[in-house]
Amino acid sequence: MIETKSMKQPFSLKLSSSLFVVIWCLIASFPIIWIAVMSIKLPIDAFSSNPIAVIFGPVTSNQRYSLSFQELFFCTLFAVLFFKFREQLYTFYSQFIKFSYSVNITFFYIFSIIIFYFAFKAFNYFIPVIDVLNIKILGYTFEHYQTVWIERGFSNYFKNSVIVTFGVVIVSLTFGTLAGFALARTSSSIAFWILVIALVFRALPHSILVAGYLPFFMNSSEILRPILGDLAPTFFGKPYAVIAVLVAINQPFTIWLMRSFFQNIPSELDEAARIDGCSHFQAFIKIIMPIMWPGVITTGLFSFMLGYNDYLVTSLLLDGQNQTMVPAISGLFNRDTSTTDQVVAVAAAVSITAPLFLLVLFFQKQIVSGLTAGAVKG
Amino acid sequence: MKKKDFYLFIIPSLLMMFFFIAVPLAIVFQQSFYITQNVFQEIEVETCTPGFLKQICKTEIQTKPKLDLNGNLIKVSIFVGLENYKNLLQIEKLKKAVFNLSLNEIENITFWKAFRFTFTFCLITLPLVISLGLLIAITVNNLTQSIKGPVIFISLLPFIITPIIGALAIRWLFVGEGILTSFIEFFLERDIALFASAWTLEILMIIYRVWHVAPFAFIVFYAGLQTVNKETLESAVIDGANRFERLRYIVIPHLMPLIIFVSLIHLMDSYRVFEEIVAFSSQAYVISLQWLTYDFLTPDDTGNRLINRASTSAMLTMVGVTIIILPLLKRTWEDYREGKL
Amino acid sequence: MKIKVFLFGIAFALVSNFAWAGCSFTNVTEVRSLTNSFDAWKAVTEAMSECGNVTATLDSEFKDKQPDAFAANPSLYEIGGVSGSTITPLLNAGTIRPLDDLVAKYGQNLNPNQLIKIDGKIMGIAMSVNNQHLMYRKDILDDLGIAEPKTYDDVLAAAEKIKAANVVDYPFGGAYKSGWNIAEEFVNMYLGNGGDFFGDGNAPAINNAAGIKSLETMKKLTAYMDPEYLTSDSTYAQKQMQQEKIAMAYLWATRAGAMDNAEESKVVGKIVMASAPMGDVRPASTLWWDGIVIAKNISDAKADAAFKVAMEGLDTEMVTANNDDAVWLITGYQPGASAAGASATAANGAAPYPSGSRMGVMHSALGNGVPEFLTGAKDAASTLADIEAAYISAAKEKGLM
Repeated sequence: MIETKSMKQPFSLKLSSSLFVVIWCLIASFPIIWIAVMSIKLPIDAFSSNPIAVIFGPVTSNQRYSLSFQELFFCTLFAVLFFKFREQLYTFYSQFIKFSYSVNITFFYIFSIIIFYFAFKAFNYFIPVIDVLNIKILGYTFEHYQTVWIERGFSNYFKNSVIVTFGVVIVSLTFGTLAGFALARTSSSIAFWILVIALVFRALPHSILVAGYLPFFMNSSEILRPILGDLAPTFFGKPYAVIAVLVAINQPFTIWLMRSFFQNIPSELDEAARIDGCSHFQAFIKIIMPIMWPGVITTGLFSFMLGYNDYLVTSLLLDGQNQTMVPAISGLFNRDTSTTDQVVAVAAAVSITAPLFLLVLFFQKQIVSGLTAGAVKG
Repeated sequence: MKKKDFYLFIIPSLLMMFFFIAVPLAIVFQQSFYITQNVFQEIEVETCTPGFLKQICKTEIQTKPKLDLNGNLIKVSIFVGLENYKNLLQIEKLKKAVFNLSLNEIENITFWKAFRFTFTFCLITLPLVISLGLLIAITVNNLTQSIKGPVIFISLLPFIITPIIGALAIRWLFVGEGILTSFIEFFLERDIALFASAWTLEILMIIYRVWHVAPFAFIVFYAGLQTVNKETLESAVIDGANRFERLRYIVIPHLMPLIIFVSLIHLMDSYRVFEEIVAFSSQAYVISLQWLTYDFLTPDDTGNRLINRASTSAMLTMVGVTIIILPLLKRTWEDYREGKL
Repeated sequence: MKIKVFLFGIAFALVSNFAWAGCSFTNVTEVRSLTNSFDAWKAVTEAMSECGNVTATLDSEFKDKQPDAFAANPSLYEIGGVSGSTITPLLNAGTIRPLDDLVAKYGQNLNPNQLIKIDGKIMGIAMSVNNQHLMYRKDILDDLGIAEPKTYDDVLAAAEKIKAANVVDYPFGGAYKSGWNIAEEFVNMYLGNGGDFFGDGNAPAINNAAGIKSLETMKKLTAYMDPEYLTSDSTYAQKQMQQEKIAMAYLWATRAGAMDNAEESKVVGKIVMASAPMGDVRPASTLWWDGIVIAKNISDAKADAAFKVAMEGLDTEMVTANNDDAVWLITGYQPGASAAGASATAANGAAPYPSGSRMGVMHSALGNGVPEFLTGAKDAASTLADIEAAYISAAKEKGLM
């Protein structure tokens, strides 16, 4: 955007607007950063009223592991250099390993973490210890994560979350893309009414729907007994039932989103294919889907977030070993018979957030385009 | 597209929505007019429980539910008409409370307490979300290009984080001797307990919700800002308009459709406020309509879920949803008629 | 350094698995349990896990999950951890099995006191008894010349003195969290004052002098508590005591051991466990038991394995290792200073918790209604009247009235 002289802003305005952005960034990231900091400290430090104690963790420093000034300096230096030269490093790296972009990027980051680990060890080994800089200042410990994932069985809940989330994404996208395509290519009044009904459905609080099928799910083995005999299952507590529920709840949003993406693809494309003899379905698979892939990824992301973040439906319909991570946190939360248990709950909260953090890191553009699609016309 | 192909494409999605949204809605509607009971009988039972050193055995008449031949509880459904609605709405008490013009008395009725909070929550968060989103969009638009990417990344974090985790994070920051509460206490030089009164809890919930949704408003408005007509802006400058007037007369009208869109989506979502109540454990002070239905659905001390009361509460919640969604429906209808849909 | 610790840990785990297997048999059937999450259950489930193939879920919201989980076919858990009141929904729905055969086969080490008999059939095995009683900082009370409080009037007088001396943040703490906890406090207070909950035909009968007195005593106590008391459960109050923020607490006996846990507690050795304060008629407390039940909707082979595992979890070895975690009923328990409060309360004549279908409805109604009095929204009489009305409407809806 070329700024003409008349549009130029006075320095004070630019300063205050930048200041506001800085404040907003702090507000946006502070809670998340803070609980991440809390999760690697011992309870006494994590819940201390003094923020300095929470950040530097003196007791943790004494009783567990600690970074000295020197080591901290190294870590910061590494991070800054990495951030500044990441494009060049990636280009260098991709000369040796050539896969698709997303695979490349993942391996690149993993590789970089490994390099960092060895560089850190090398730094400690080779650089002489300067007494002044050797003061241990930053305490940390990963024992809470160990407790969460191993002792409290979070790895099982993670597996369940993966199953439910991917089930939701795959089924939701399959049904949603088909429906979105159909709705984008018709202007009949039926299509309009379906869209309107979908909009109404999207507004419904989920508890209303769960109230409807909860009794049915509980008693499904009796209700279905005449048809299926002794094999009639109880739907309560089964992941596939929850996947079905979440897919259905997500359908209205999915079809609206996919429809707006499909509308951006000119209908001449599939018409040309059909003139050549393809059926609608063949035209859809062979011509439209390859172009549509970015839109599908975007919608997939939102389905992922819905399936992953859901609390209400999963807490009411899943139980025991089949629970997903998010309702399981209320179990950890209610379990706290000691301050250690509370920090364990914080570590679990950070564990749940980590995949989402990575999601935004890799798919920022798609998320932004998904939020604006349907809002900004043209 | 031919009718046959259209239906083939859309059937899976329609079936899902029919069986898991439309049918449950109808079932809930029907359930709200019934009550489901166990059939009880009075029998004499001898119960032996451990005393401190010796067992204590008591024989007494207890009310126990009957079981059928398969060993399952016998349940009967009785049609009660509008009884459930009357119990929930407590019209008599409401009339008295309104007559006395006492907000306290109205809040003593559980349903109206939930209604009042949901209503004020939606209305208060709306202007805050819009203005914060607008402010962030305008200031981010001002930044140099290279920083915009990371800033948008950071701004998206509150929106992406799992709602209940986000609310829990706010709770850990503010409860008891939490870090931010200690900070505020330091300045005010007195002890405060943010989780001990309803109005402070409501403020915390509003703060959380605005923090969580502002990124969505920001992204949408930011996209809209990219399409502001530069020439219009420049001619306004030539005409002598200052920065504020340019904002008011050009930028905001340009963004108005987006503002309306974000407002309607936000109203729809904030009406469903629920995770905040769970994460803040605020049941004694603050409850919402969706939480009320959820609470009826969770088993009570005797292991029973109050499905019928949940259905009633759900139906009453629907009334609010219908009101909120009318403007959106109207807009969609207008877009359709103008061929803009 | 970290790798050394890691390898040592593996070695230790391997060695300990062979050298000191806490379980007398290796369990090959998958056994799952759902219990509460306080220390006693941690000890029991750890002992059970030594048998192998045991998945223990510890959740303080277990009572909301158990009825549906056990009613599922097959049941989602084999073993359930229950208390005097949480066994009722499972009993009523018929989702737990009689244990007479299993006790005959594997229960040789059980005391007769541990067998929970309903209508002559053994339906559960109790492991410990529990009640709520008073705990106080002996050093603070001695400094201020306060004798051990025997009634709630004594407690209030002591709190006033402690508040004046300004030695702790708050003189008193308790599990006053709205919902189940606050209802339990009212139940204890009301039974202590000699109140009856029900009249003829399951009608509620709490709107009387005893009820009003109970509510008012609770309100007076809250003046000496952390203002966020309606979010404070037993864990929160326990932490307050451990962190020297309160001088007196009214807590479960199972929390007594935590006071002397050097890793978390700053008040090791300073707390005295005393009887629950006396109400007008008896101690303001109720007797509870905790124990295990076995699900009905599982195969007999699974029930067999589950019961064997449970017996391993409740054996003398476990009790010796975790003596102070609860007031155990199992052979080998040595009652120590931490059990003094529980036994004094029982000796003074506390009543057992009156569990039953109607009590469940009443408990829920109290959990929602009592906070409204404490926050000042209503006066005592109308609070009790509203609780009775809520009870009546819920009981009618359930068919109890």
